[in-house]
Amino acid sequence: MPAVIQIDGLRKTFTGVRRGRRVALDGFDMLVEPGQVHGFLGPNGSGKTTTLRTLLGLVQADSGRMALFGEPAPQRLPAVVGRLGAIVESPQFFGNFSGRRTLRLLAVAGGVPPARVDEVLEQVGLRDRADERVKGYSLGMKQRLAVASALLKRPELLILDEPANGLDPAGIREMRDLMRGLAAAGVTVLVSSHILAEIQQICDHVTIISRGRRVAAGPVDAVLAGFDHREFRIRVADQTRAAEIIASAGLPVTTHADHLVVADLDDPARLSQALGEQGVWLRELTPLTPDLESVFLELTDTRPRPGVPRQVDDSVRPDRPADESQITLGADDGLQITVSADDERAQP
Amino acid sequence: MNLVRAEIGRLAARRFVQLMVLLLGTAFGVTIATTLAGSHQPTAFEVQVAEAQAANQRANVQRWYAECLEAERTGASELSARYQGNCEDVSPDRVDASDFLSGVFVFDQQILDLTYFLIAFLCLFGFLVGASYIGADLTSGGMTNLLLWRPQRMVVLGTKLGTLLAGVLGLSVVASALYLGSFRLIAEVRGLPGAPDAPFWTDLGLTVTRGLLLVLMVTALGFAAATLGRHTSAALGVAAAYAVVWEAGGRIVMGIVDVARPDQLMLSSYVIAWVGGEIRLWAMSGECAPQIGSGYCDLSYHILWPAGLVVLLGLTVLAVGGAFATFRRRDLA
Repeated sequence: MPAVIQIDGLRKTFTGVRRGRRVALDGFDMLVEPGQVHGFLGPNGSGKTTTLRTLLGLVQADSGRMALFGEPAPQRLPAVVGRLGAIVESPQFFGNFSGRRTLRLLAVAGGVPPARVDEVLEQVGLRDRADERVKGYSLGMKQRLAVASALLKRPELLILDEPANGLDPAGIREMRDLMRGLAAAGVTVLVSSHILAEIQQICDHVTIISRGRRVAAGPVDAVLAGFDHREFRIRVADQTRAAEIIASAGLPVTTHADHLVVADLDDPARLSQALGEQGVWLRELTPLTPDLESVFLELTDTRPRPGVPRQVDDSVRPDRPADESQITLGADDGLQITVSADDERAQP
Repeated sequence: MNLVRAEIGRLAARRFVQLMVLLLGTAFGVTIATTLAGSHQPTAFEVQVAEAQAANQRANVQRWYAECLEAERTGASELSARYQGNCEDVSPDRVDASDFLSGVFVFDQQILDLTYFLIAFLCLFGFLVGASYIGADLTSGGMTNLLLWRPQRMVVLGTKLGTLLAGVLGLSVVASALYLGSFRLIAEVRGLPGAPDAPFWTDLGLTVTRGLLLVLMVTALGFAAATLGRHTSAALGVAAAYAVVWEAGGRIVMGIVDVARPDQLMLSSYVIAWVGGEIRLWAMSGECAPQIGSGYCDLSYHILWPAGLVVLLGLTVLAVGGAFATFRRRDLA
């Protein structure tokens, strides 16, 4: 079965009289297999929306190859568009039309039975507000309407760009449940979001982009495992003494204000024993497992630095694969992480 | 077919379109109402007096007409200079009793001017609706949404243009029929129908037909300008800029630098030529062949409707073609 989405070496440069030349995508690759709930992550301005727009034929690529359901895109997009539903960036609708009319017009244009409109309105929770004008909708309601429009066609592939934008907590949970339900029904979902905890909860695969290039891709667990340094946080009465003991045992240790972090620790019992033999007793021993947020911040080098305002384009720019600096970890799991050899920072 | 249905629904549901239809109806209604209020069925006495005045006028004109014909035949310089042109302008046949009836709407004499008014309003309607229809879609995200469903840019834009033109044409035909029918009715009940003969109806029919074609071209131009400029206001800006910079400013500059035929370079001349069948213009300078025996130098020239059609159609094709070519490869926000 062909990949649902395959992107190879996608490049796009925007040029403008005032803005000059800006490289949005610089050889970006992506692979989404059938049945995946695939998270698409990246800092602001990293190229996520440009990727999705290019894939959907709204933006013309400079070069690269794209395929949807094995069909080259955007050339064969009309042949497969009936199998995908998409919302791209902020939902935009004609303000004077009601939600129901908006969906009906799309349904007519796409040959979808009108009854389906009521179904999706019910599904996204807009049933009772469907006849109000869209300009009176909140951002969250517009987002729901956008999702409804994407669901109209009963898509096999759902592309959602920031679907939780503007949603209240209950709406975010509903969106999560909706995506889970769709995934359980066999729908492939590609979702871009900045809410990394959400992504970690609902996605089984992830692609991370920074400054137009892929920095990591693969199963979420594998990506996280790639950044698991087997670290433990420990608290003891005599922190200085404990640090000396751990260091003498050959383990990397970092001292913090009220705790120590020990890395490369395969067996916590070993640490407990070493400290105990020297009369230092553990008060806390907590494994530090990486979460998607910390991995994302590390991969894109966008972790906030106290007193240093971060600019939009201040993210890591990975070297191109052609530079042979791509490191593939856990290739058996399909995980690929590309890291910069010199941690190149964005240059204006 | 589904796309056409969706676009018809979208066009009909647009509030701007509904508002413009309302304004159009109001403008036509006011015109019809004022004509109705300002006209009355002439009494027998009024008709009698008018006919007497017309007979008197014909007798005077008959003498001038004969002199004009004589001057044309003999080339007498003094007389020829006095009449300066076509003797049919002073033909007694042109004098009609209805000319002497005040406050009476006479259909065959006044309907042509009213038809130009109709066409002008329909053109304004078509331009604004055409520009707004695509302009709002491009700025509101409607086009993006539609392309996510039908990723065929040329088909989508072509369907939009086709639907728009069909809609504007349909409305224009209905509006024209109602408008002309109303004045015909006014003439019957509170005025005079005049003596509309076959050439009159042919002339009126051709004027309306050419007017409707002009409405379609202007609508397409509004659509194309808004597509090229990505916004409704782009079309309005282009129209305003053209009127101010070229039709007004350009005309002044051309007058200063002694361009012989500035009118020939103005779009408005071709619009009038197309709708009216022809336009007679006067050159500012140039060589002329004085009529034999007279000192009169005729610097006039004509632009006929085929030239108007070529210019207007050429401009429309260029603008629409440019809009489609640009839209084909444009990145959409």
